[in-house]
Amino acid sequence: MQQLERSFYSKASMYSFFVVTILIFTMWIGTGQFAHVDMMLFGYLIGSIVFALGITGRMVSWSLRPATQQILKRSFQNLRTRSHKQRNIRAVLKTAFDNIILQKFIFKRGVYRGMAHWLLAWGCIGSFAITFGLTFGWMHFSLIDPETYQIVVMGVPTIKMAADGLFAELVYNGLNITAMMVLIGVTMALIRRTTSPDAKVTQRVEFDLLPLYVLLAVTGTGLVLTLSYKFLGGFMHPQLSLLHQVTVVLFLVYFPFGKLFHLPIRPLAAGVPMNYRETVDTRPCRSCGEIYSTDEQIIDVKGILAAQQFDLQLADGSYLSDYCPACRRKMRVMKQMNLEQPPKDPYAPVETMSGIQPPGFGRRRTSGEKEDYHE
Amino acid sequence: MNKIMYLEFERCIGCRACLAACRECGDHEGTERNYVDYVDFMESRQTFPMMCMHCKDPACARVCPANAIQITEEGVVLSASEEKCIGCRNCTFGCPFGIPKFDFDQNKMYKCDMCYDRSKHDIAPMCASVCPSDAIRFIDYDEMQTLRRRRTQLNLVEGRKPSEQDKWQYVPEFFGVYTD
Amino acid sequence: MSDYVVKEGTKNLQRAGEKLITTHCSYCGMQCGMHIRVSEKTGKIKGVEPRYDWPVTLGKLCPKGVTAYQQIDHPDRIKRPLIKKNGAFVESSWEEALHVIKDNVTRLQQESGPDAMSVFGGVSMTNEKCYLVGKYARAVLGTRFIDYNGRFCMSSAAGGFLKTFGMDRGSTLPWTELEHSDCFLMAGSNTAECHPTSIQMFWKARDRGASMIVIDPRETPTARIADVHLDLLPGTDSALANGLLHLIIKEGYVDEAYVEERCANFEELKAQTALFTPAYTSKITGVSEEKIIRAAHLYGRAQKSVVMFARGAEQQSKGVDNVTLYSALALLRGQIGKFASGVATFTGQGNGQGGREHGQKSDLLPGYRKITDPEAVKHISGVWGIEPEAMPKPGVSAFEMFDEIQNGAIRGMHVICSNPAVSAPNVEYVWDSLKKLDFLVVNDFFLSETAEFADVVLPAVSWAEDEGTTTNLEGRVIRIRKAVEPLHESKPDWQILKEIAQVLGKGYLFPYEKAEDIFNEFRLATKGGKADYYGITYERIDRENGVFWPCPSLDHPGTPTVFKGRFETPDGKAVLPSVPWQEPGEVPSEEFPLRLTTGRVVYHYLSGNQTRRIDFLRDQCPYPYVEMHPALASRYGIQDKEMAEITTPRSSMTVEVKLTKATREDILFIPYHWGKELSVNKLTNACLDPTSRMPEFKVCAAKIRRITKKEGVSHE
Repeated sequence: MQQLERSFYSKASMYSFFVVTILIFTMWIGTGQFAHVDMMLFGYLIGSIVFALGITGRMVSWSLRPATQQILKRSFQNLRTRSHKQRNIRAVLKTAFDNIILQKFIFKRGVYRGMAHWLLAWGCIGSFAITFGLTFGWMHFSLIDPETYQIVVMGVPTIKMAADGLFAELVYNGLNITAMMVLIGVTMALIRRTTSPDAKVTQRVEFDLLPLYVLLAVTGTGLVLTLSYKFLGGFMHPQLSLLHQVTVVLFLVYFPFGKLFHLPIRPLAAGVPMNYRETVDTRPCRSCGEIYSTDEQIIDVKGILAAQQFDLQLADGSYLSDYCPACRRKMRVMKQMNLEQPPKDPYAPVETMSGIQPPGFGRRRTSGEKEDYHE
Repeated sequence: MNKIMYLEFERCIGCRACLAACRECGDHEGTERNYVDYVDFMESRQTFPMMCMHCKDPACARVCPANAIQITEEGVVLSASEEKCIGCRNCTFGCPFGIPKFDFDQNKMYKCDMCYDRSKHDIAPMCASVCPSDAIRFIDYDEMQTLRRRRTQLNLVEGRKPSEQDKWQYVPEFFGVYTD
Repeated sequence: MSDYVVKEGTKNLQRAGEKLITTHCSYCGMQCGMHIRVSEKTGKIKGVEPRYDWPVTLGKLCPKGVTAYQQIDHPDRIKRPLIKKNGAFVESSWEEALHVIKDNVTRLQQESGPDAMSVFGGVSMTNEKCYLVGKYARAVLGTRFIDYNGRFCMSSAAGGFLKTFGMDRGSTLPWTELEHSDCFLMAGSNTAECHPTSIQMFWKARDRGASMIVIDPRETPTARIADVHLDLLPGTDSALANGLLHLIIKEGYVDEAYVEERCANFEELKAQTALFTPAYTSKITGVSEEKIIRAAHLYGRAQKSVVMFARGAEQQSKGVDNVTLYSALALLRGQIGKFASGVATFTGQGNGQGGREHGQKSDLLPGYRKITDPEAVKHISGVWGIEPEAMPKPGVSAFEMFDEIQNGAIRGMHVICSNPAVSAPNVEYVWDSLKKLDFLVVNDFFLSETAEFADVVLPAVSWAEDEGTTTNLEGRVIRIRKAVEPLHESKPDWQILKEIAQVLGKGYLFPYEKAEDIFNEFRLATKGGKADYYGITYERIDRENGVFWPCPSLDHPGTPTVFKGRFETPDGKAVLPSVPWQEPGEVPSEEFPLRLTTGRVVYHYLSGNQTRRIDFLRDQCPYPYVEMHPALASRYGIQDKEMAEITTPRSSMTVEVKLTKATREDILFIPYHWGKELSVNKLTNACLDPTSRMPEFKVCAAKIRRITKKEGVSHE
């Protein structure tokens, strides 16, 4: 592997090479040695390849961050560990279902937000699936007899369906359905973003709003296109088709580099409970004994910090992450106020920097002031 | 923004107005992001306010697997961006000062953003605005330097000299966002 | 983006679609400046914004202030008048409620004379309302029984000031000067918790090197910072003050010229204090001699000093004596009437200062006029439009009204803006009295513990739903603004009183259309009185950041510092006290070996009827607790966070124990903001001060017992 890697500039280039190769290969199979390539979709093809390259590059550089690497390593390790394999896989699946499929955690931030995001997310994923399937020729429809269509996936004939059946309608309109989902989601999100003063505080127009507008453009032109050939007898169809293609290509090229990139990294969340929270927290704070984390996570955090030259080791050899957050705050204050050392005389007031420190009840104070009235 | 958040723990009277005020800030969704604790109630009533230092190279952002903690151009370290945060809590353990909070329900981290909607206009954050004891202040860089100098001199008058090892203990906490 | 509003040079965050209503906090006497955020479109309350340009508090707020707006549109608000039918409250119309009131008031007064009705006022409301409560009681109901909750709050300070200076203004100096002072002597004031926003002034003075002497049995957050903390036994203030006076005289710190020119009675004082040597003082107060001496020197040497006190010294059976003695400390040093020096009391209630000047007190008419003075009666009768003969005679003090109920003299009561079922001492007696009433009307916007006893509850508005003025603890008259229209069917108190006057056929006495009409009438009423508001107008308050009374004419600048040239006594001289040592009303005995003292926490305001309903504040401090020293606790085998039963000769209660070394080893402390079973006022002693009729909340004898787990008492 290392030798192989040396043939490339970087890991990112290596993975990009493989991704493109695989894409072309699958296309070759799917289209029957390029027999079924739909030249109408050529623009989409280019866009999709750029999309794939972008995602690969971003994913690789992201996964190389020490923090990401650590959690990836931990996740794969856990999945491989024989003893807990079943439990781990169950944890991953459950989290994936709650967190990714249902997106429960977003609904907890508000049902409105949950709905908007769920529609957006699944609309997008659905659209991706159909678009890539078609542009790379991974699947196409073939007419077996005048009444029946068959879906061919990777050159392998699969389901047959009546040409005017309900299922067929659903399949033909797949992209329209997902587009509607996205359209509703985007509109809801845009309304929230423009009316909620809370959302406005830290939002950046380019970062938070641009992707929504791009999505709006893609779905909007796509649906108008459908409208045109279904109900308007193909009115302005070529122009609209071009317009749609342009928006989609822009979208695909933009995707890996903007806010939407959170989609491919989300699956990482599925590993979190397995790694750190599968059981309840078990690790006690070094100072107060309060349970605050798990050993695995603290080891990981220490590792990540060390990898980045964060020296958070204390004089007694312990690390700051060995203490619970409350104790860490207290340590900072006690250090600042010079309250850390045990006092020389336990009954004497605390010796502090500013002289206006807790004197201890009923005792004389040790400010620098001179008691000169006895003279 | 060329202002500093300046903390003087001794001034704190433990009223927790800063906590109540933090909930009032836009984008804080009624949750407080700062802390007020007793050092040790059994011994004395000394309390202290605590909030994010807005590090230039924040450990919380460095331990985030999702790269979710962003820093604004003014230098404010924001809460984990909601779309990226995978809810691993690494930041709460990585932060040397114990600042980030975690919402298990919504599966996300949240923290002080210096009331970004206020401080980006140089208006004091809510906690510093209301703090009755001036334990939390939002002041100019120069004023901060003057205060530090005075504190150091005060200590010298009292015959305590800072040494190379502990000189930083001789200045109160200051942090915040300023351009060098 | 956002525009910045408010005064030039001040930046405030002005959110789009919102306006800022400039007003003051609803709670304590600090009356911190604040803006209330209101949606322009819906008119709903959105939150709070600091008011950086208010010169007294500079935008600072305590947690109560920050969350004050949450009481306005609170789900617990009383929405419609409530009438008790068969023991349960039934929502009803205003017509019906007024009808019930009319019937009962007329019936009671026909059967037992006009004095059968009584009015129990409060001072957490605007000057306009306070003034009207007095007029309502005397001119509409024609009863002599009117008094107010200031008897549990400020009356000792008032009594002491009147006795010493001949005029009662809570502070002789504006508080913006405090930061220039050199020394603070604070007695019985947990400033940091009870008036948190004033702490900035003390801390600023401390930055300049000012010294601080704190007299308090507990090491409060204020005492923690003090140079000398005189940890006296509760109830021994007069001995300590005498001891300090003794040392000031002995060490030659007296400003001879000032005393000669402006004070009377110095020789008597000197003779009386001669007895109070440090050793003798130390024996009574439990403070070490060394600390008393140090405090006297610190105070005696200060160029500009301020003597301040609060409920700790005032809520005692010797409250007035304590106030006169502490004030004498300032007089001997020649501090009163000068820059950054003087005497001040920390006014508790929002309008504790203004409210006591406008005739809610049993013996006072507006403008601090004596009801026993025929001239005053004539003047006020003229303003009110009644015959001087119709003016009732003086009544009795707040707590004594409950005695009158027990005696059968009072049969009906109208409680306005007060909650004596929590805030009075020995509340079990008060509860019993309230039950004995034939008819009780309560105005409130939350159903208070007192309101639960009522026959009719009238929904009043919160402070942000009405215009008006209050007088803060400096004596500065300030504006309260309406942020929203009255919610639900609630009405401002002045309108409620007007409508009651109308159904009782006295509507012609209350010809007001808006709050300002009342203000203009009571300006006339106070004209020529000691608390003269005549020169103050709404417009001047806005322009001048408030106006200090006395302000006798429109071109008078107001009086930020009082007593500059002379005092308001007949001969212009301040009267120095001579007070011998006297034990508090109840001293520890064999059965009750400990001293119990009560007080406040920063999260709650008075009887807690408002603050206990606000999530943030309730979460911070949900239940009362007893605070004690671990050394004392170990004598009774009590651990931290265990439950304990506290008993006094009146009653007992069970609370959680909180241990801290920051308190005396021989006292118990319980905060008092809770009602019913959680009310520490079940235990407190109703021993009254002979002058101010202030009950002795701060000292009583008690015993403590550990509650075992088996008995299973807890708050949850």
